[in-house]
Amino acid sequence: MRDVLGRIALSGVYLVVIVVMVFPVYWLVITSLKPANLAQTNPPVFFTPELSLDNYRMLWGDAAIRNNFANSLVVALGATGFSLLFGALAAYALSKSYLRYAIRRGILLWVLLIRIFPPIVVGIPYFTLLHRFALTDTRLGLMLTHVALTLPFVIWLLLGFFQDVPAELEKAAMLDGCSLLRRFGQISLPLVLPGLAVTAIFAFIISWNEYLFAAILTSFNAKTLPVAIATFIGERRLEWGTMSALGSLMLIPPAIFAFLGQQYIVRGLTFGAVKE
Amino acid sequence: MTTRPLAPPGTPAQAARPRRGIDWTAPGRDRDLSWLMLAPAILVLVFTNLLPVWEALQTSFYIYDLSIPNATPVFVGLENYLRLLSDSAFLESFRTTLIFVTVAVTIELILGIVLGLMITGQSPWVGLLRVSLLLSFIMAPVAAGVLWRTLYNVSWGPLNYFIELAGFPRQEFLASTVQALGAVIAVEVWQQVPPVAFVVAAGISGVPSEIYRAAAADGANAWKTFWWITLPLLRPVIFVVLILRTMDAFKVFDIVATLTQGGPASATKLVSYHIWERGLRFLDIGYASAMSWLFLLVVFAISLVFIRALDRARAGTEGGA
Repeated sequence: MRDVLGRIALSGVYLVVIVVMVFPVYWLVITSLKPANLAQTNPPVFFTPELSLDNYRMLWGDAAIRNNFANSLVVALGATGFSLLFGALAAYALSKSYLRYAIRRGILLWVLLIRIFPPIVVGIPYFTLLHRFALTDTRLGLMLTHVALTLPFVIWLLLGFFQDVPAELEKAAMLDGCSLLRRFGQISLPLVLPGLAVTAIFAFIISWNEYLFAAILTSFNAKTLPVAIATFIGERRLEWGTMSALGSLMLIPPAIFAFLGQQYIVRGLTFGAVKE
Repeated sequence: MTTRPLAPPGTPAQAARPRRGIDWTAPGRDRDLSWLMLAPAILVLVFTNLLPVWEALQTSFYIYDLSIPNATPVFVGLENYLRLLSDSAFLESFRTTLIFVTVAVTIELILGIVLGLMITGQSPWVGLLRVSLLLSFIMAPVAAGVLWRTLYNVSWGPLNYFIELAGFPRQEFLASTVQALGAVIAVEVWQQVPPVAFVVAAGISGVPSEIYRAAAADGANAWKTFWWITLPLLRPVIFVVLILRTMDAFKVFDIVATLTQGGPASATKLVSYHIWERGLRFLDIGYASAMSWLFLLVVFAISLVFIRALDRARAGTEGGA
């Protein structure tokens, strides 16, 4: 009897936690689907059968928002691509011992320090620097700052994956006369594909959600969705339904990716320090 | 993949393969190629990290106010830094940030350990819990800010509806100078507890099950097992999360930008937000650069202390095991 009661109590605890974590997200989605007259009522409407897609239609009809969406996608995909390319090359070189230990250690430490930097510290100089190179309010400029954000992460994460590749394979290829680049491209890279996929997921989510740099460096042409939703707060204070729709839309790509990469999430979270 | 006979020892690789151009398999080439592979990443990081930080350092020695038309930078040496030390608005934002980081990270660690135990536990709800933890944490912090603004709303927010239902008066939350910081911390915790829980869970599943069996054989109850066995073994993992969470909590900007914009008054003005306001809204770039350098030094110092402690903790567990 006590055992049954205990089990019920425990299930209760689980349920409470699940509700606390999920309810806000549910609220975001349901607010986006409510007709305008039900969005701000007291008592609040927690569910209504008369769901409407009006808010989403409004967003889709807005050319500026469509452009923001395209910007977010291009910048996030571009930043992911570049940081993965440069990061994989660097991580591979750092995972081998052809460079002196002190050099490799120094570079890795520097990369780790970059991870500590509060973004605002580089944000202000980015503003003046991008201006100097005529890159303000361009996708390329923003992409570059996002690469700066994701690259340290990619290097550290992939370093761990490359270190997991058995050294014998490399040695065999070396005896066959493969150069370092070919050993990288034909032996190691195919073996770390899952790691590459997970790293890509993390890089994409970081860039997709990034707000500070985007807010500083873009104003119209290259404006991304996080900036768009923040400007809503300033300019269209009462359109909670539309804002919630935008918030819900922004959640879709990371949700898909995170679901796909679930198993490796811990490794990503700890910068490769903890392997599951 | 080309195969070629192994050159006898002492023979230059070139001789074994007479080809035009550079032989990338020659001895020593591996090192050159390593540098070549590192070059793009290093170049990007120099331009996006060293250069801007250097730029900020230089600017921090100037009075440079872009809000004044045709302003030219005036060199003032350390004056900006000296001014900062007696700038009450800056010091207050520092105090707010320290409170924010300490409280948020402490709660995240405690709840994270509890949740970590829950997702490694035996319950039919574990799968659902895992998915629900994923949701809040992948949400863009700006979007979370918007969302929680609706939850906290004084007149039609669901939170106040429940509070009234429970028989308490409505709370002002974001509109109150007393409650706003706590309200921001709650959002930060809601978003950042999941990563802590996932990492702690990974640590827990890494503990060999024999240890638990031995403890059970010795008659240890669940609480004793947790306190005397699980927790000490988790120490290194917890330290790693502690460091990462602390570093990230200092960076928080986005939530504040959509949730409170630093207000009411300056109750939730974290250093990042304060610097942003000063540098990019009031365009007082020189002074803001000095602020960001001071901020950077403090964050580095704190991280260094933590990393040292981690090294010691690691050495401790390895020695003890």
